[in-house]
Amino acid sequence: MNAPFFKYGMFNDEVSLIVAFVIGIGFGFFLERAGFGGARKLVAQFYLNDLTVFKVMFTAIITAMVGLYYLSVLGIVDLSLVYVGTTYLMPQIVGGLVLGVGFVVGGYCPGTSCVAVATGRIDGLVTLFGIVVGISIFAETFSFIEEFYFSTDLGVLTLPQLLGLPYGLVVFLVVLMALGGFAGASWVEKKFGPKGIWSQS
Amino acid sequence: MKTLFNNWMLNRTLAIVAGVLGFFALFAGNPYPGATATINTKELAVLIQREADHVTVEELADWIIQGRSDYRLLDLRSEAEFQQYHIPTAVNVPPAALIDYPIARNENIILYSDGGIHAAQAWLLLKARKYRGAYVLKGGLEEWTEKILFPRIAENASPEERAAFEKRKEVSKFFGGSPQTGAAAEKASPQLAMPKLDMPAAPGGTPAGAPKKKKKEGC
Repeated sequence: MNAPFFKYGMFNDEVSLIVAFVIGIGFGFFLERAGFGGARKLVAQFYLNDLTVFKVMFTAIITAMVGLYYLSVLGIVDLSLVYVGTTYLMPQIVGGLVLGVGFVVGGYCPGTSCVAVATGRIDGLVTLFGIVVGISIFAETFSFIEEFYFSTDLGVLTLPQLLGLPYGLVVFLVVLMALGGFAGASWVEKKFGPKGIWSQS
Repeated sequence: MKTLFNNWMLNRTLAIVAGVLGFFALFAGNPYPGATATINTKELAVLIQREADHVTVEELADWIIQGRSDYRLLDLRSEAEFQQYHIPTAVNVPPAALIDYPIARNENIILYSDGGIHAAQAWLLLKARKYRGAYVLKGGLEEWTEKILFPRIAENASPEERAAFEKRKEVSKFFGGSPQTGAAAEKASPQLAMPKLDMPAAPGGTPAGAPKKKKKEGC
């Protein structure tokens, strides 16, 4: 037996929704525990005085990457069934910018806004409302932007195939990049971080 | 101060673990399976004996008429042959291209060739690479031609056979074939013109007059 369980029909659509719910609650719980339910903590990234989000996200990335890599080398996970989205270069750059601007202005990304709502934060509620409005506008105007939405289609890309490097080497390089990133983040925090009585957290 | 030191120790330990795991990844190999594969001979033998390795032409015809889209139909013959005639909804994939062809392991794949040899060989290759839903079209295109496109009935057929033939006639017409009846059916006439490719509709858009009531039978 090997994963992914859903694609092999180990459980059906209904059960997969329950699993998604449980994972979602768990995800939200740990976001809240990491302090990501508060806009100040999140926006601190952009002022370079607290890079917790960067560290947490990069930790998650290398944990998932190393875990999936070794599990698939051991034959437990079938990596070819793990969904990789298609790269549409230009639309995704534009989309990333839209999301980034929203993140800076609102103080939340979509996931953390839900966490903020769960803990009763009003700014989180406003952000979530904005997300719903944005989704509606996108859905209603989709026919006008559909051509752009599917433009610059580069297909399904992964780093090993894009760079032409062995998979294990890419894993190693990304881990090095993360470790360097953590060290760099700590240095940046020391330089720009809160000092003395203004220190909070 | 102590917690700060503990945190620092924990972070350092985690960083070392990540670094070590990343380093060993250099030598652990490729997570995607390469060109080599191992097969479970017993499992495959049982599948073959239970006849769970193939679908019949009647089943396939039913699925196409219903417009089912939960399977992929792959034609293993040459491109020229494919251009001349292929079963509706089929995609041309020569055996050598099959291994790199983008199909997910959880998809249902039906393979066919002229007779069945190439299809059976390709079935073994896919099974070896853990494609769970690989099937061979039993009898291949020959049986498709014989049973679906140009079904025949003997002069001295029993009433049951005649009733069954009526259904076959409808299926045959759907795919642009022509049922062979009477004396003509008795002698083998291999020079029947294959139907034009645009005759049957693609799945999804079931044309009017398609024998919908036949859905229940078959599989």
